[in-house]
Amino acid sequence: MNGGIWTRETVAMLLLACFLPMASSWVWYGGHLSLAFLVLMIVYGWQLLFLLARAQAPSLSGVITALAVAMLSPEQLGPLRLALGVSFGVVMGELVFGGWGRNVVNPATVSLAFLGFGFPSFEWPAFDVPVAWAAIPAVALGCGLGVMSVGLALGASFVAIAASLLGAIDGSVVIAAAIVFVLLVADPATAATTRSGAWAQGGLFVALLTLFHQAWTGAAPVQMAVAASLLTSLAVPLLDEAALAAWVALRRRRHGRT
Amino acid sequence: MGFLERTAGLIPRFPGPPEVPEVPEVTTEEAVVRAPLGPPLRVRLLVAEGETVARGQAVATLDDAPRIHLVASIAGMVAHVRLLPGKKLSEIVLFRAGDAVTKHDTSSASDSSGLRRLMMTSGFWPRLRRRPFGGMPAETEVPVAILVTGSDTRPGAPNAKRALEGRAKSLQRGLAALSQLTEGKVFFCTTDADLPDDLGNAPCQVILHGVRHPQGSAGILCHRHCPAGVESPVWDVHAEDVADLGELLDTGVLPQMRLIRISGEGLLHGQSLRTHPGADIRQLTRRLVAPGAVETYSGGILDGRRASWLGITDRQVAVVPARSRTTARHWLVDALVHTPRPVPIIPTAALTQALGAALPAAPLMRALGAGDEEGAQRLGLLSLLEEDLALADYVLGEKGQIMAQVRSLLDRIHKENAA
Repeated sequence: MNGGIWTRETVAMLLLACFLPMASSWVWYGGHLSLAFLVLMIVYGWQLLFLLARAQAPSLSGVITALAVAMLSPEQLGPLRLALGVSFGVVMGELVFGGWGRNVVNPATVSLAFLGFGFPSFEWPAFDVPVAWAAIPAVALGCGLGVMSVGLALGASFVAIAASLLGAIDGSVVIAAAIVFVLLVADPATAATTRSGAWAQGGLFVALLTLFHQAWTGAAPVQMAVAASLLTSLAVPLLDEAALAAWVALRRRRHGRT
Repeated sequence: MGFLERTAGLIPRFPGPPEVPEVPEVTTEEAVVRAPLGPPLRVRLLVAEGETVARGQAVATLDDAPRIHLVASIAGMVAHVRLLPGKKLSEIVLFRAGDAVTKHDTSSASDSSGLRRLMMTSGFWPRLRRRPFGGMPAETEVPVAILVTGSDTRPGAPNAKRALEGRAKSLQRGLAALSQLTEGKVFFCTTDADLPDDLGNAPCQVILHGVRHPQGSAGILCHRHCPAGVESPVWDVHAEDVADLGELLDTGVLPQMRLIRISGEGLLHGQSLRTHPGADIRQLTRRLVAPGAVETYSGGILDGRRASWLGITDRQVAVVPARSRTTARHWLVDALVHTPRPVPIIPTAALTQALGAALPAAPLMRALGAGDEEGAQRLGLLSLLEEDLALADYVLGEKGQIMAQVRSLLDRIHKENAA
C-alpha cells in the first residue's frame, strides 16, 4: 500500500552525491566541465531516442556516465571521436540491454575501452593527488548509504595494501585505481551482488591492475585501471555464479535442500 | 546467532497516533466466515440462512477434504451465504445473537490421528499455514518441521508477550500436541524480550531472533532453520493459536479471541484489543478513525489487503488516509515515469536488509523479475510467501509488484508439480 524510496533514481541520486567531492576537485584542478556537458548531451540524446523508440525510461545515471567519461577519457580526442566512443558505450553497453540496472558492463567502461583501443595515439589523463583523495569520502559515503558494496571496497583495499607492501604498485597507479574504482567498478548495477563475489571482484580488480603495471609496458595508469575494470566487469557474473553455487552447496549440505 | 544475523533487517517507521492503554475485548455485531487466503475453496454448507449457530460450530466443510471444518467465530444467526460459481465459498455473514459455545470431544486426541481430527473439526486447521505455496495443509500432510512464531517483527504488530500472558500452561500443552504432528522439530521462534517466562519441558527448540523486520517473518525463519521443499512441507502457526490449541485440548472449546492491534495514519489513536477472526473492521475502528476518507487493511501496513473483515490469520488492522486521485499529467512526464516494463532494481544494502540478509537478495529479485522458476527455487523461494517479501517490495517502492511476482511464480511451480 505504501512505497519506499530505494528506487533506481534514488540510487543514482545518492551515487551522484557521493561523487560530488571528487567531481568538484576535478573541476578545481583543471577538469573540463564543457567536456562533461558534451558527453551529457550525447548520453541523454541516446536516452531520449530509446525513450521514444522503446518506451525505455531515462535515468539520472546518465550524469554519472557523463562524469566518468569526461574525467577518464583520453585527452584532445575532439568531439567526433568522443561522440563515437560515448555512443558505442551508452548504446551497446547499457541501452540495448534495457537501461541502467539491466546492463552487464558499465557504459562508461565500454566507452573508455572503445576510445582507448580505438584511438591509442591520444594521451590518457593524469590526476592530481587531491582528486584521488576525494575518492575516500566517496567510497565511505557510498558504503554508508548502502549504494556501494562494503565487501567490494574491502576486497580492493586489502589486495591494494598487500600489493603496495610488496612494492608491486606505485603511487600513480593507486591514484588512477582509486578514481576508476569509484567511478566504474563500484557501480552497484554492474558490481557483484553476492557477498563473497563482491570481495572477489574488488580483489580481482586490483590484482589485474597490479599485473598490468608489472607486465604492460608503456601503458598509462588510467588506461591500465580502465582495462582492469573492463575485465573485472566481465568476470563478475562468473564470480557471482561461483558464490551462489557455493552458497547453495553449503545449504544442501546443512539442510538437504535449498 | 551471530551479531550480523541478529542486527540484520530494518525498522520501518510509519506515522501514526499514540496508542490508548486499554485492551478491550470486542465481539462485533457482524462477522464472516471465510476460507484462508488463496484460491477460493469448494465447500459443502452445513447451515442455511436464518439458522442459529453457536461459537465454534461448523458452518461448512471443504468439498475435497470433508473433515476440515470452517467454524463460526461468534454465536449468532446466519444472515447471508455468498457462494461463487462452482460452490466456492465467498463468505458466510453472521449476525451476533446469544452466547452458545460448541464443545468438542477431546478424548480421542491423545494420538496423532485423533489430534488431527480434533484440529480439523474444531476449526483450528485453517489457522495453520504451509510452505511451499501457502494455504492450509492437506488432511494427511506430515510436515518436516513446524515453526511457531512467538514474536511478530512487522511494524504495528501487537505485543506478543501480552498475547500469551497467563497462558503458559496452554502454550506448553499446544506445543506438546504440535510435536505429535511432525516427524521433525517444532521451532519456537521469538525475540529475547518476547520469550515466555515458562516454556517448561515443551518439546520444542527455541530460536531467538532479532527485533528488526523481517527477522520474525515465518518465511525468513523457515529459510534459515528448516527450508521447505515440494516434498518437505513446513507449517507455521502463531504462538497464540498454539495456546488456543492447548486450551482446546484442556477444555474442549477452541478460543476465538486473539490480540490484534489497530494502527495507522488514518486514526485518532491506535489501540490493541482482543477480537475474533472475521470481525467487522468497521465496528472495530469506529471510534478510532480520524475525520476524512480512509482505507482499512486487514493485516500489516506492509502486507495487508483492503478488507472490511479481519482475516483468519491476521493480527493487525491498518487504517490509512485514502489516496487522492492524481491529476492528468503531460504526456512527456507520463512517458518519463511510466514504462511498460518495470524499472530495474539496483542492488543496495537496503534490499539485502529488507530480506534480513538471509538470502542473496539481488539474484532472487532478478530471478523473480525474469520469471526464472528454477533460479528462484534454488535461491529459496519455496520457503517464502508474498508477505515475506513485503518489506523488500515496500523498500524498493514496487507497490506490490514483487509480491505479485512471488505469487505468480509459486502458483506456476505448484501447478507444474501437481500435474
